[in-house]
Amino acid sequence: MALAVEFQNVSKTYSGTKVLDQLSMQIEANTFTVLFGAPGSGKSVILRLLTGLEKPDRGRVMLRGEDATHIPPGDRNLGYVPQSFALYPHYKVADNIGYPLQLMGMPAAQRKPIVESAAESLKIAHLLDKKPDQLSGGEKQRVAIARGIVKHTDIFVLDDPLTGLDFKLREQLFDDLRAMRESLNATFIYTTSDALEALILAEQVIVFDSGWTIEAGKLETVYARPNHVRTMALLGFPEANLFDGTLENGVCHSPIGQFRAHTHLNGGAASVKIAARPQHLQFTPTDEMIVFDAEITLVEDLGGEFVAYLDARGLSLTALVRHADASELTEGRVRVGIQPEKLLLYDQDGYLIGQGAS
Amino acid sequence: MMRVRGWRKTVYHTALWLVALIFFAPIAWIILGAFKTRSGILATPPLLIFTPTLDNFIDLFSRRNIPGYFLNSFVMSLSAMVIAIVVSFMAAYAFSRFKPRITNFLMFMLLSIRMVPAVAVVVPVYLMYAAIGWKNSYIGLILFYAMFSIPFSVWILKGFLDGVSQRYDETALVNGGTRWHVLFRVVLPQVAPGLVAAFIFNLIFVWNEFLFNLILGGRDTTMIPVAFSTDLYSDGGLNWTFIAAMATAYMIPPIILVYVFQKYLLVGMTFGTVRGEV
Repeated sequence: MALAVEFQNVSKTYSGTKVLDQLSMQIEANTFTVLFGAPGSGKSVILRLLTGLEKPDRGRVMLRGEDATHIPPGDRNLGYVPQSFALYPHYKVADNIGYPLQLMGMPAAQRKPIVESAAESLKIAHLLDKKPDQLSGGEKQRVAIARGIVKHTDIFVLDDPLTGLDFKLREQLFDDLRAMRESLNATFIYTTSDALEALILAEQVIVFDSGWTIEAGKLETVYARPNHVRTMALLGFPEANLFDGTLENGVCHSPIGQFRAHTHLNGGAASVKIAARPQHLQFTPTDEMIVFDAEITLVEDLGGEFVAYLDARGLSLTALVRHADASELTEGRVRVGIQPEKLLLYDQDGYLIGQGAS
Repeated sequence: MMRVRGWRKTVYHTALWLVALIFFAPIAWIILGAFKTRSGILATPPLLIFTPTLDNFIDLFSRRNIPGYFLNSFVMSLSAMVIAIVVSFMAAYAFSRFKPRITNFLMFMLLSIRMVPAVAVVVPVYLMYAAIGWKNSYIGLILFYAMFSIPFSVWILKGFLDGVSQRYDETALVNGGTRWHVLFRVVLPQVAPGLVAAFIFNLIFVWNEFLFNLILGGRDTTMIPVAFSTDLYSDGGLNWTFIAAMATAYMIPPIILVYVFQKYLLVGMTFGTVRGEV
């Protein structure tokens, strides 16, 4: 497993505030890695350190296995898509896209075919002669991405490139981005604070919270069994249900009922956080499920799916229901069930300690 | 309703025209005077219909020292501005991007320097210049005017630079551009209106400057405003044809500049807060 990027105990302080504290992380080569975290969790700082726009106060930034902490940004050979486009208004689209090549000293005649094929792959070939202010938001975004990928390199950095675009435009770009990653066979490092974007795009995900890595790994693994309750809360759509319970002698008492739990805790009573993804709550409970009564307070139509807001004896929960089950969704009392093994238990520090058992 | 509005509009316009004419009258008088004969210029009532003559201009520019004064005005205001704009642009960039801790204080200082009346500094500056030996020297006056123009230009340009996202700089840096590349190829084209505005505002200031030119300058470095005061009197009284011709010639360059760049001036006066459309 070759590493494209590695942070070793990196700390960074801005005017007295510690933004990153002893952060370590690894990004595997040839993956689509999403750095995911709420706004203000330090993602942008990480990218600034990675691109060399800032230097860490302490620790090392490794690129392609070598110490790059003191290499200036221009010598790191990165493709870069900045936040908020930053297309040069005084350049035509073609010159914007060709800009990284121009800076490398490539003559115009040599740039032209590369620019054209990049524009082709992002479906903006017809815009090459326009100026950025003649483009729509989605077109600008494509130009910015084209400029980011035009350079022949192995690491591409995309700083939350889809913010501010409406969902439809983003959706179209998701496929293009993934396809591009595969055809370039390069490492894509992508930051976002949007859970849906992370879930759709990521092969690997690194979850940040206030300047430290909560957890990292393959998206499927991290999503299925988040090691930390913050990941559970952040990474998922709709947001996961979290509620308190007490664990005593292998039995968990919770507002939705009692159930047996497999944990590495023994003995005495402990308060725990219980997490349940909205996808796992069902309105057609079966015998092996934990079943409880709830009141449907609101149903939201997402097109293919419904989000139901539930009130279970004062506990607010959300459930995501596929269209087929929609007939069950009449407002009023319902019986809701969940497989006990879908309930994940976290200790008071937020770390995973186990799950429900049938 | 429409009729009332139309009627009001007429009143407004008449009033505006009246005010404009009152303010413009002296200027019209001096411009017309430049084309009149010596007796015609002082006729009462003022002659509105007359045979124009270029004699006054011919007389003006055939005087031994006058072309030199014009040249001085041009050379000094232009070169002072070039220096001032280059320095201000880089200073404003530093303030805008690197945000040194005392930015606000320095910016305040820069602005307050501008508030100090010229007479308050003219004596110390004079003593300093006399000591260095810069009195009546081009370099001395050019640097002084540049120095005097920098604070205001930094203010205007910082406003513009703050409006240019740092993502532009960063994109250039990550792609291998140098800081100079960022300054002159990435940022500069985007603040061109600010540069033009700062350039013209200060150019007009130097063009009109009298006091320092009088005190720090000398025979070789006299500019037009000072030349006015020393050459006004000839033949035992005010030489009105000379005044009219010189005032007219003196007005033309700034009027052309302001006319050509008026949209930039508007943007400049708002310190870059009104953008686009330029």
